[in-house]
Formats: sequence, structure tokens, C-alpha cells
Amino acid sequence: MLRMENVSKIYRTDLVETHALRKVDLHIKSGEFVSVTGPSGSGKTTFLNLAGALETFEEGDYFLDGHNVKGLSDDKLSEIRNQKIGFIFQSFNLLPDLPLFDNVDVPLRYRGMSAKERKERIEHALETVGLASRMQHLPTQLSGGQQQRVAIARAIAGDPLFLLADEPTGNLDSLMAQQVMELLEDINSKGTTIIMVTHDDQLARRAHRNIQIFDGQVSDIEKSVADDVIRSA
Amino acid sequence: MFSYNFHLALKSLKERPALTLLTILAIATGLGLYTTVKTMSYQSGQVPLAHKSKNVFLLQMDNREVTADAVEHQARMVDTTYKDTLNLMQMEMPGVKQTFNWSTYGILNVEDENINPLRTFAAVTNSAFFTMFEPPFLHGNGWDKATEESGEAVIVISKLMNDKLFGGRNSVGESVRINTHVLKIIGVLDTWHLTHKFYDRSFSRARPDNFFIPYSFAMQNGLPRRAGFDCWAANADIARSFRTENTERLINSECAWVTFWAEVPEEKFADYRQQIISYMESERALGRFPRELVMYLTNLNDQLAYVHGRNQFLNTFSVLATLFFAVCLLNAVGILLAKFMRRKKEVSLRRALGAKKKTIIMQHLLEVIIIGFLGGVLGIVISYFGLQGMMSIRLYSSDYTVRVEDVLPYFQLNWTMIGHAFLTGIICTIVASIYPIWRLCNVPPASQLKSQ
Amino acid sequence: MDIKPIFLGLKQNKFMAMLMIIQIAFTMGVLSSSVLVATTTLQEWNKPSGIPHEDIVRISPEFFDDSQDVGQAMFNDLKRVKEIPSVINAAPSNAVPFTAENMIDVYLATEEDAQGFKTVVFESDEQIIDVLKLSLVDGRLITASDVVKGDIESTPQSAAEVMISQDMAQVLFGDDSAIGKTIWLAKNADPVKVIGVYSNFMTGERLNGRGKSYQSIIRPQVKWSQTQQPHYLMRVEQGTAVALLEDIIDVFYLERGRYINSSELLKRTQKRMYDGRGSRALTFLVLSVVLLIITGLGITGLTAFQVTQKRKQIGTRRALGAKKSDIMRYFLTENSILTLIGLVIGVAVTLSITFELSEQAGQNFFNLSVLLMTALLLWVVNILAVWFPAKRAANIAPAIVTRSA
Repeated sequence: MLRMENVSKIYRTDLVETHALRKVDLHIKSGEFVSVTGPSGSGKTTFLNLAGALETFEEGDYFLDGHNVKGLSDDKLSEIRNQKIGFIFQSFNLLPDLPLFDNVDVPLRYRGMSAKERKERIEHALETVGLASRMQHLPTQLSGGQQQRVAIARAIAGDPLFLLADEPTGNLDSLMAQQVMELLEDINSKGTTIIMVTHDDQLARRAHRNIQIFDGQVSDIEKSVADDVIRSA
Repeated sequence: MFSYNFHLALKSLKERPALTLLTILAIATGLGLYTTVKTMSYQSGQVPLAHKSKNVFLLQMDNREVTADAVEHQARMVDTTYKDTLNLMQMEMPGVKQTFNWSTYGILNVEDENINPLRTFAAVTNSAFFTMFEPPFLHGNGWDKATEESGEAVIVISKLMNDKLFGGRNSVGESVRINTHVLKIIGVLDTWHLTHKFYDRSFSRARPDNFFIPYSFAMQNGLPRRAGFDCWAANADIARSFRTENTERLINSECAWVTFWAEVPEEKFADYRQQIISYMESERALGRFPRELVMYLTNLNDQLAYVHGRNQFLNTFSVLATLFFAVCLLNAVGILLAKFMRRKKEVSLRRALGAKKKTIIMQHLLEVIIIGFLGGVLGIVISYFGLQGMMSIRLYSSDYTVRVEDVLPYFQLNWTMIGHAFLTGIICTIVASIYPIWRLCNVPPASQLKSQ
Repeated sequence: MDIKPIFLGLKQNKFMAMLMIIQIAFTMGVLSSSVLVATTTLQEWNKPSGIPHEDIVRISPEFFDDSQDVGQAMFNDLKRVKEIPSVINAAPSNAVPFTAENMIDVYLATEEDAQGFKTVVFESDEQIIDVLKLSLVDGRLITASDVVKGDIESTPQSAAEVMISQDMAQVLFGDDSAIGKTIWLAKNADPVKVIGVYSNFMTGERLNGRGKSYQSIIRPQVKWSQTQQPHYLMRVEQGTAVALLEDIIDVFYLERGRYINSSELLKRTQKRMYDGRGSRALTFLVLSVVLLIITGLGITGLTAFQVTQKRKQIGTRRALGAKKSDIMRYFLTENSILTLIGLVIGVAVTLSITFELSEQAGQNFFNLSVLLMTALLLWVVNILAVWFPAKRAANIAPAIVTRSA
């Protein structure tokens, strides 16, 4: 479903070239719950940007659902983000001016769905995260955990190929973090693929599979092995 | 504390020079235009003879026939007849001066055929004109009562005529000709700037009269009369001819055409007024003044206010300039808001570190005052050029028939206007900054410090 | 495009929105008022003169010596001036094109309630048609024998036949031929007969101000007195007028005892006719343009500020699938909504200003199509002003969302 072959990302300034990612090969299958870990500066964010089609890259190939993302136009990339990827951010990134309903509506609008279908999807998504009753509230009227749940509703409303979560619990206290994790696991159990970038080993361990990034290079560890490593550590 | 605030204000001015410059430019452009118009309005609203203008009155008596239409405003009332003029001049009252005049024109020429003649407008008047309206003399003097009663051919010429016909030398005592009449020059005026040539009620600007002659001479020699003749039906058909002929008939007619002025001290006003009314009543007994007795004594201030209020170009221009300034200020509000709100984070940190609201306000107020100050200075510079531009337009649009010297006073900045502009600039800038500063100082301490 | 989120966004930013609206409203008020005043003023501006005004010289002498014989002087003047090699033809005239101010009413009947038609009568001799280079449209030209010449005192009779201009004929007789028709130059005057129609030429400011610039009559008569002396019109060879002017003035000074009141090319007379209102209208227009620039810069500034403030939000929208064009459209639509509201208020402001001005000037300044054009212009300027910051907004990288603040 998601396959990266030999993908590299280099940042150039006048003086230096930084290899943020080197020759990444990766394959993620449908229905997986994958965690991506690594220390800061390791290339985690770059990986996130590439996987999320937020940035372009020069070398290698990235297949999403069998289509190569490489070299696509900005508009095409927007379309891919809109239809295939559901984003969940550390700082929620809800639009502060819009009530919850309209926040969830944002990606659906760009997809050009009928009003009726959008309404059904939004209501369903908000029900899934347990906030259907607060549809007309503004984000600032909610707690952090609730805000993140809205962000999750927004991510799943469009039925994406996979969810891309960036430190989804990073700004939450442990109780709320727990709830959000349970929600994600619940969503995953219903068949949605989730890729979660985090620096929290505790969280990473709850995924089926852990991918570690060190200095721009990826080492892929199957869940069983990961468990072993962590246990023996 | 002040010096610290001042230092911060300067620093923040330099922080985003483009925005600072844009604010200053917006304020300066608006203020520049506003001051240009205000100056033009102020200068052309200047009342001539300011030191006694409230005591200088135009006299108008309604001598018209019964069937004439009612008059709504003093400005539409007829002037004075020649016979009333002479009668009133006879009635002297201590402390009161009276004069009258009408406009004429003629071709001034001298013996020397190498000097081209000049056609020009002039005033026909009496000796009191010079003491009442105080034109400045370069050489010589006006004439006296005896001279005018004898019908002697004397003339006072303007500086311009003296320059053109006599090369600027003192021409008093020399002869000059109006058409073919030879007159003796007894006085040369210096430049005499009247914001409005009020005395003939034309209120014209920048077109001064170039010679002055006694009424007796003008009447005896049939010089043309440039006036509106408000005649009764009996004379209506020949009213136009009174401009150049039929002098005898005009003298005895009920045609009103002479502008009559009186300088009356405040304490004498009631008496003078009564005297005029008594005069009208006595004439009425002789069959004149058939209508309800209406007379106006209107001082210069009131007349000028009326005329000034009817300057359509200035009125239109004033409305537009005020709106223009308002738009510029709104612009400044926007830019200031943008500039200040970028500083949210810094302010919330300062507030967290103990800065009081008042300190934050002071710091930004200082910055705004500096902006207003610079905007004011630049605005005054712009208005200087604006006025120069408007003057060029004025000269162009009158096809250069008016002289720069005569027009200049209407477009001149003075200290009053500069001070006015300066204050307006600073006050308006402060007003414009109230909302941006209010928004900024209400940023909660440390609110912006959490990562977003 | 879906405008609900824009409205929700504006609700959160009321002050900014208000600021923009007021600014646009005021700008609209000033801009359209000045454009309305200017266009009204310039409506009859710089119309074709109908004559080769760059090659015609006008001289207006004035005797101050009453003992001179005006008639003899005129004879001498015309003879002398025609002897100048480059002078093609000359004629005396009681009026000068571009400054003919003696507006009268002409009638088709003598009844008390007969309708008057505004016109200016040019009294001249048979040469005037050639001097002004007018062409014959209908009927015949005046000839030397038609011209009534003489001192006012000793010549009581007047010319009984006249030529009229094309516009005059149109106004008086419509599509009928004017030839042979009778008109009255005053209610109680003797009738005169129309013998010819000539091509239009500009009369002067008073008729121009009434939109009747070309209504004129040429009457073949030259009468004079000490107080009524003719002007002279001379056509000279193309391009020689400027150089000739001094020579011509010298010729007129050969008669003693008089003063040349006015001596100029008709080109300058024409300039004078228009320059007052022209410069006034242009002043207003220049101010409007400056204001438009200031407003444009202001809108650019405000939008740029909004963009800076909303970077993260824009990035989020991009990450969620908004195309660059969606972002552009968001800002353009937002601005257009504000512009529309501002324009509506601005039109109200304009109406009250023009109403006030029209009252004062006794002239109607209002013109719907000009108002709509101004609104359109302001809208276009606004779009331009928003375009650049919006472009910058569209270029915000979606990857901004993954950067922690």
C-alpha cells in the first residue's frame, strides 16, 4: 500500500548539504499500525513530510496505492493529501475561527463532495470520537484531548488510505494521551492503517511495528523483534 | 524609565523600517493635502482690513419699486443711487467716515510713444477711500475733499502702472493719460494685497485695480461705469447704456449702482443706523422709497463669510481632502496594528517579566508620537509643494493673466498653518494608534510563550 | 467557492474587516465624487473646433482717442494686413470663436410664447467664411453685396439675410432644408432669411456649457462706433502664425491713438476656454489616483499582515488538501466580500456628496455608468492589492504544520 524505494532527501543551503534521509526502503501494508521513532534531528520530521506528501524529494520512488508520488505537481500532491492521507498533528492545528463541524468539513470541502454526504461523514466522524454533541463549539472551548479528538475526526472523515500522526499525544497530559491512543487503536482495529511518528518508546511499543530512524537511515523492526529489543534493554 | 521607553520606541521604529516608512508616508500624504486645502481656505478666508473689518459696513437701501421681488439675502440687495450717495455724503457724523466707489476701465498711456499703452481696470471714488481702506502709498498721497469737489484731474496709480509706464521712478507730479484725458499723478500705491477686492463688491481675487480717480472727474468726463444698474422699469431699457452715456439721466434716476461704505465705531452704530432710517423716511415723504423700509448695514466679516462659504471649488476640495485624510489615517491604523501585533510575543514576555500595562502603553505611545512628528514634518513639506502646485494650476487656468505676486498670498504657508498641521498630525496619529495599542497592551502576560 | 468559513473568519477579525470596509467606502466616496465632478466638467471639453485654429490670429484693438475715424481705420487695417505676404485673408468680426459670449435667443415665430433657441451671432463680412475655412453645406455663401457696412449712427438698416451653422439648422428645422426659411433674432426684431448653411465651428464657453457649442449665425454686416470696435480675424499660411504675430501687431499700431487689447493665435483662445475647468478636473483626478494608490498599499499591507498571522492555518489547509489556487481564492473572495460591502456604503457616501455638490453648483453631477465604472475600477485595484500577499500565502509550504512552534 505504501512503498518507498531508495528515497533520499537532501537539504541544500549555500554552504552545506544535509542528507536528511538516505536511501530509505520501506513497505507498509494495509491495516498496519506502525510507529516511527528516533532521536531529535534524526530525520523523523523529514520522513513525516515525505510520507505525508508535504514535501517533494529528488531521489528514489514513493508508491502510494501503486501510484508513484515522485515528481507530481503541487496540485496533484494536494489532491493526494486530501484523499489518501489523514493528518493528526502534535499541536492539533485546528482552525480557530471555525466550529468543530466546519473544521472537520475542511478536507471534505476540497474534495468537492455533496453537502449531504459531507454532513453524514462529519457527523459520523464526530460520533466516532465522541464529540457529536459539540459540533457547533469553537476549538478554544475544548480541552487539549478533545481538540485532538476533533483532529482525529477530521483525519478519518475522508476515509483516507492511512492516518499520519505526528506526536499525537505530545501536547496532552497522560490521561488524555491514554484516551487518544485508545481511540487510535480502536480506529486501527477497524482496518485503518496508522503511521505514528513519536519519540515516546512507551507509545511506540503499542504499535505493531516500529521503524527507527537514526541519522537519516531507517531500520525496520517487526513488532515481535521490537518487543524483544525493548524487553532486553 | 522614560529614556528606556524612548530607547525601545526608537528600536522598534527601526525594526521594520518599511512599515514605519509606510505609516509616516500615509500620514504625511493625507496631512499634506489636508494642510494644502486648509491653507488655501484660511488664506482666502482672510478678512481684509482685519483690524477694523467689523466696523466697516456696506450700506444698501431698498429703493426699488413696489412691484419688485422680495430679496432674500443682503448679497442680492441693490446698491445705492447716485443722488442718495451725494445726499448721504452731505450728512456728516463725527467719528464716522463714508466712502463710495464704482469700477471703471481705461487705457493708460503716456506721451512717450515707445511705451505701449495699457488697458486696465480702476476704481472711481472719493477722498475718504484712502483713509478708510488704507492702501499703502509708495509715493505721494491721495487727494483731498477740496480737490475732488473742484473736479480737478488727479490720479493715484498702482505700483504696477508706475513700473510699466514710468520705469519705477517716483512719478508723482507727472502726467498720465486715461484714453485722451490728461491727469496729474498725485500718488503711487505700493503692492496692495486684498484677499478679496471687497470695495466694489466683486470680491475678485488677485486682480487689483491699477488706478484711482475722483468721482467728480469721472462723471464730468463720462468715463465708463462698470456696474450693474438696477433700474426701475422706466429706465430698464436703457440701463445698459448707462455704462457709457446718458450721465445726466443716470444722475436723476432711481438706478442703484454705487457701492456705499461707512466706517462706524461701535458706539455710534445705533445713531448712524437711525440717521439712515430717518433719511429714508424723509425721502419717502418726497415720494421715494415706496416699499417697506428695508436697509442693510453689513460689516466686512459677515460679507466675507458669505462669499467664502460660496467658494465651490474650495468647498468641494475641502470635503474631498478631509475624506482623503481619513482614508490615510485608516491606512495608518491598519499598518500600526500589523506592526504592533507582530510584537505580541515580546510584549507578553515583558508583561511576564513585570512590565506594567502603563509602561507598555507609554513605550508605544512614544513610538507613535515620533511617527506623528515625522509625518507632520513631511506633511508640511508635502503641503508646501502642494500649494506650489495649486498656484501653478491657478496661474495656468487664468492663462497667466494674473501675476505671481498677486496670487502668492493665497498659497502661502504661515506659522499658524504650520503649527496647526503639526498638531493635527500628532493628534490624529495618536488617535489612530489607540486601538492598536489597546490590543497590544491587553495581551495576557506569557500567553504567547507556550509553544503553539 | 464556499464562503461560510470566510464569514466565520471575518467574525473573528471584526476590527480588521471594519477597517477595510471603511477604507474602501471612503475611497469609493472620494474617488467617485471626484470622477463624477471631473467627467461632468469635462463632458463638453476639448471638442473639435471646426476651424484651423492654429493658423488664425485674432487682434482686438481699441481706440482711446475719440477723434479717430473707426471706419477709415478699419479699411486701412484690412488693406495693410492683407498686404503681409503670409496672410491669406482677414475679416472684421464682432465676436471671436472660443470666446463668443453674447448669447441670444433666436425664434421661429413672433408669438409671445415662441420657443427661443440659444445661439451666438457673428457679424462680419463675406470673407469670414474663408478666414475660418468653413465649408458650405447648403444654399449659397454671402457675397460682398450682401454686407451692410457703416457707422452705427448713420446706418440704421440691418442685413436681412443670414447664414446659419449646421447644428443651428438641425435644431431649428430638423431634417428640412433651412434655405429660404425665416427666423427672428429677437422677439421684436425684423425677420431675417436663411440663405446658406455652413459647417460647424466652436463658439464659446457659454454655449459649450449648455452642450450647444456649435449653434451659431453669421450675419453679413459690419457696424462700428467709438465704443463698438471690431475684432480682426486673420488666417495665415500654415505654421507661420507664431512668427507673424509681431508683424501683424506692428501693422495695427500704425493707426495712432489706440491700444491692442488682445493679440493672439486662436489656439491660445481655445486653451483659455478649456483650461480653467480642465485643470480643476485634472486636480481632482490626480488626487483620486494618489488616493487609489494609498488605499491599494493599505489593503496590501493589511492582507499581508493577515497572511503572516495565519501562516499556520494556511499551512494546515494546504496539508489537508487545499490547492494553491484554493488559498488564493480564499483571500480574493474574502477581500471581494469586504470590497462589496465597502462599495455599497461608498455609493451612499458618493450620493450624499454629489447631492450636496449638485445643490451648491446647481448642476447635476450624478451619472450611473460613471459610478459603476468607478466601483469596478476600485474592485480591480483591490484584487491587485490582494493578489501579491495572497500569492505569498499560496506559497506557504504545507510542511510548516510539522514544525513545532
